[in-house]
Order: sequence, then structure tokens, then C-alpha cells
Amino acid sequence: MSSVSAGLSVVKTPHLGEISWEAGSELFLPSGLPGFENERHMIPVEIPAHRPLVFLQSTERSGVCFVSLPVMTICPDFKLHLTEDERASLMLQDTCDPEIGADVLCLALLFPSGGTVEANLDAPIVINLHNSRCLQALSPDAERGYYKLSDAGIWENLC
Amino acid sequence: MLVVRRRAGEAIIVAGDIEIEIIEISRTRVKLGVTAPREVTVTRREAAAIALENRTAAALVSSATLEADLLGISSKVSGKMAKSASDAADM
Repeated sequence: MSSVSAGLSVVKTPHLGEISWEAGSELFLPSGLPGFENERHMIPVEIPAHRPLVFLQSTERSGVCFVSLPVMTICPDFKLHLTEDERASLMLQDTCDPEIGADVLCLALLFPSGGTVEANLDAPIVINLHNSRCLQALSPDAERGYYKLSDAGIWENLC
Repeated sequence: MLVVRRRAGEAIIVAGDIEIEIIEISRTRVKLGVTAPREVTVTRREAAAIALENRTAAALVSSATLEADLLGISSKVSGKMAKSASDAADM
């Protein structure tokens, strides 16, 4: 649970320590994330020593935190696919595809797998940079699949 | 599996208090409206598999070797990125 002090919201987390941010600047997830439907507000956290990792810390449950990477660091030719419902939820205009980096930020959640990590690029976290609305895109047409980080630091496509 | 033919505007009822209405039918898609009690979770099938994956993802940061693991991951990734940039500069 976060608190507010001098215009800054603060949450003490078990993994990242105390985090503060300007009240109202957190990400808003209208539907949460699959499996975490009640986590409606998150803070993206970058730690210099861990770049380019981005931590997504829940403001509602201090123990909920995800580790992610910008999708371009895994797959430089990544193309974002959004359904009509996802575009509406992010309040993106229908007329053109959002540009990654300018309109939206796309992050891949990392999950542990046999001593290393995997990322599912078919289910990226998409953040509308213009309004901080956020969701996990689950386009059924996407076929980029799973990537695994090798010991050599190379992302290998598993399918 | 129960198979029911319905038209737009028609609905089916599940377990007495869950209503699934056919709102719109287009050439390739059907728009459904689900009215259910608050405690009933309604998700797309693909979201159910991702939910399991997300729970696993949330466990990554609570690993006992968090610092070493994450430093290892970030150094691998940033090292590779630096090498790619260097390769590009050499070309």
C-alpha cells in the first residue's frame, strides 16, 4: 500500500526498497494483468545497475513486481499487433499504427526458466506514452513466440 | 460440448445468473456481451495461459539470488547490445 507525502507517493517494497514518484504519474491498467486483475496501478522503475531492465512495481501490493525488457532489445524488428479492443482500452487513435518509442512503450515480461530467463513476445506490456494507460496485448494473430536468453547473452527464438 | 445457434441480439444464460449476449456478428468476428456477478472472472482463453505465465514472471523478482541473477541478465543483455552497436559502427 502506498502513502503520499509532500506530493510524492511512496511505497516500501521488499525487492526494490522504498520507491517514490509524483502522485498521478503511475501507469493505469484498466483491467490489470492476466493473473493480477486487481493490480490497476504500477510504477515503471529503472535502476542504473540493472539497465536495460525495467521493473514494473505494483503500487497496491508491494510484493508484486515484474521484471521486463524493452521488446526491441530482444527482437529489433518487433512489430506490434493490437486488437480493436486493445486499441480502445489504450485510447489510441484508429487512424494509424502507434510508433514504438514515440507513442507506445512495449515491454516483455521475463520469467525464470532453467537458470536463465524467457520472454513471450506474443504478450507484450504496452504503455500509451501519451496517457500512461497500459495493458498486456494478447493478439491471437501474433506469432513471434518465446525467446530464451542464452549464456552468451543472445536471445534465441524457441518457436 | 453444447452447441447453440443464436442471432445478434439473442443470448444464453449460464448457471442462472450469467448472461452471454450476441451483440454483433461481422464477417470474421462475433462481439459478445457478458453480464455476470462481480465474483465471476471472465477472461479470454489466451489470457488464462498468460495468467499462469505472469504468476511465474512475478516470482522472478522474489528469487533468493535476485541481485546476482538480475545483474547477470542485465550485463548479458547490455553487453550484447554494446557489441551490436560496436559491430554496426565497424560496418
